[in-house]
Amino acid sequence: MKLRMFLAAALVCALLVAGTSCRQETRADEKGKIRVGIVFDIGGKDDRSFNAAAYDGVKCAETGRHPDGTPCEKPSLGIMLRDVEPGNPTSIEPAMRAFAERGYDLIIGVGFAQAPIMETVAKDYPNINFAIVDGASELPNVASLVFKEHEGSYLVGMIAAKESKTGKIGFIGGMDIGLIHRFAKGYEEGAKAARPDAEVMVNYVGVTDGAWNNPGKGKELALAQIGKGADVIFTAAGNSGLGAFDAVEQAGKDSSGRATHFVIGVDSNQNCVKPGFVLTSMVKRVDNAVYQIVSDVVEKKFKGGFHVYGLEADGVAYSMDKCNQQLIGPDVLQQAEQAKQKIIAGQVKVTDAMKQ
Amino acid sequence: MKLLRELLFPVIAVLVAFVVGGVIVWVIGDNPFEVYGLLLGSALTWPDGIGYTLFYATPLIFTGLAVAVAFRCGLLNIGAEGQLYAAAFACAWVSIKLGGTVIKGFDGSPIAYGWASLPAVLLVPLALAAAMVVGGAWGAVPGWLKARFGAHEVITTIMMNFIAVSLVSYFTQYYYKAPGDPIMESVPIGESAHIARLGSFVPGLPERLPLNVAFLLAILACVLVYVFLWRTKWGYEIRATGANPSAAEYGGINVRKQIILAMAVSGALAGMVGINEVLGYRYRYYHEFSASYGFTGIAVALLGRNHPVGVFLAAILFGMLIRGGIFVDAFSQHVTKDLVEVLQAIVILFVAAEALFRGPFSRFGLLKRSKV
Repeated sequence: MKLRMFLAAALVCALLVAGTSCRQETRADEKGKIRVGIVFDIGGKDDRSFNAAAYDGVKCAETGRHPDGTPCEKPSLGIMLRDVEPGNPTSIEPAMRAFAERGYDLIIGVGFAQAPIMETVAKDYPNINFAIVDGASELPNVASLVFKEHEGSYLVGMIAAKESKTGKIGFIGGMDIGLIHRFAKGYEEGAKAARPDAEVMVNYVGVTDGAWNNPGKGKELALAQIGKGADVIFTAAGNSGLGAFDAVEQAGKDSSGRATHFVIGVDSNQNCVKPGFVLTSMVKRVDNAVYQIVSDVVEKKFKGGFHVYGLEADGVAYSMDKCNQQLIGPDVLQQAEQAKQKIIAGQVKVTDAMKQ
Repeated sequence: MKLLRELLFPVIAVLVAFVVGGVIVWVIGDNPFEVYGLLLGSALTWPDGIGYTLFYATPLIFTGLAVAVAFRCGLLNIGAEGQLYAAAFACAWVSIKLGGTVIKGFDGSPIAYGWASLPAVLLVPLALAAAMVVGGAWGAVPGWLKARFGAHEVITTIMMNFIAVSLVSYFTQYYYKAPGDPIMESVPIGESAHIARLGSFVPGLPERLPLNVAFLLAILACVLVYVFLWRTKWGYEIRATGANPSAAEYGGINVRKQIILAMAVSGALAGMVGINEVLGYRYRYYHEFSASYGFTGIAVALLGRNHPVGVFLAAILFGMLIRGGIFVDAFSQHVTKDLVEVLQAIVILFVAAEALFRGPFSRFGLLKRSKV
């Protein structure tokens, strides 16, 4: 009896497998729509930072709604969206090729690590548009979406120095690479501009990919900087930065209810991660950049080459909302706003650490 | 008939896994037929699907064989991951140093990494040897620790994994990375160390597919492992040690020597993964290039019943799942690539719980207890 059951089950499975294998493209990709494929970084689309911002951008383009269901300020572009979270570096190239094989209109790669892979794939498919966030490519069919992180960091550096009581501020970078040096250098220049005697401590979590995902080490570094007198800490360390959030919360508040130490968030708006302890966030509007490139493709205006996002179009900015408006004085904000206008007008030049 | 009996349980396990997976897909809200169509269709189309399936299968054949050889000696080698990292770096190191790598520095002036620039006929064999020797040595250390001190190989191999990854990361970061490169990878290897992609001589296979000569080496390794285990004195002694160490020792076999030998062969096989990745695909050492090949190799060996033929077939199946998983992730409505992991897990569960089926089957005389 049992045997028969097993054989029947096996037969059903065999039929199931045989029946499916010959129906290759059952999912008819909806006709007439612009098709966009996005390949995330190893962190995946729910990292609450960089990848999450990219996902937000494409999701707004697809549905007009953020991933959490709230409406975007921008309209839906009526595209068809498919995404891949590669999980390991070996899957990135085949994921891009999967979209290319099916003739997608735009393929977006997230993160500088994908740039060399995108180069090889884009060469094989010159008629497909590609976009790489944070990476650079010379190919005519690849758009490089890059940000002036140094300018945004300059402004939060000013705010940090102004709001600091000790005159000592900290910076915690993730991986010790050029891209993060850009944050550090801008931050330092901003702080020095606002307060020439400001002291900036710079530390990095590590030198491998793991440096983005080590909150324990992030917290240790933050505690060490606090121990040396720093009372505002800017993190540009992905998930590791969240350790610094814990560290300033641990330092507590004074009798007036104001926190004694602050942290500055990065990439996404992290002001409300620990309300009262986050001075501001240096947001990098990856979502806007990604939405823009999708809309370019929809309107058939796609252009390869560098697309640089700076302060002028809020490509980078410091974020103000209900979680931090009590924390920063109006005079400080006014000064930051003035500096912003000067940078946009070209009167103030912020050093780009990657171009030295 | 014997072969049929050996194949029965793995095949049932795979089929059951697909059914259970199908139910899960259905519960999530996708059509299981569509998802499986996507999974198998993308893995079996010519040339891209098959090319990538075999490319993914290649490292799993090596690690599957590695685990199988150790298992035949009664050892569980969890350290294939570390062995293949150490070996891949060694392979890249030889190909950089003797391949005459020169890169452009910031100011445009060349920076030389190599000592010499050997031709391919010398360099490729040297790089292969480096991968196998270093992988073998990395495997032999836990073997020796077990033989000499009785340290359990599960503990030591897993510790050696951490050491290998940290060590090669250190060398890559501080000595062999191009200046200013944000990615954790070594400088490229010398061009004469590149091994041919199958696309360069197989008609109809485009050269952009990364499937390379290492796949042929993997097939060769299957044959050699079979010959080694079942047709040589060493292999016999390894199997005897695995079946019953006390009896083997009584029979005049030096059990300690067999343990070290088996672990060294196992490590060398795992090390050959580096050939596929470094010489055939990326042309450099790349941090975290291994998608847990060493650990998946355990599942491959288990499903393949520690036999080279079984390992080969199981590796192809897992290669299909990896390839198809990307397409399922990209083109299905709700299901993500985690489905593939669910399928793998169920396969392993059912293979491991073989006794569950053994009862009903043996009652009908379909099966006798398998022999070593």
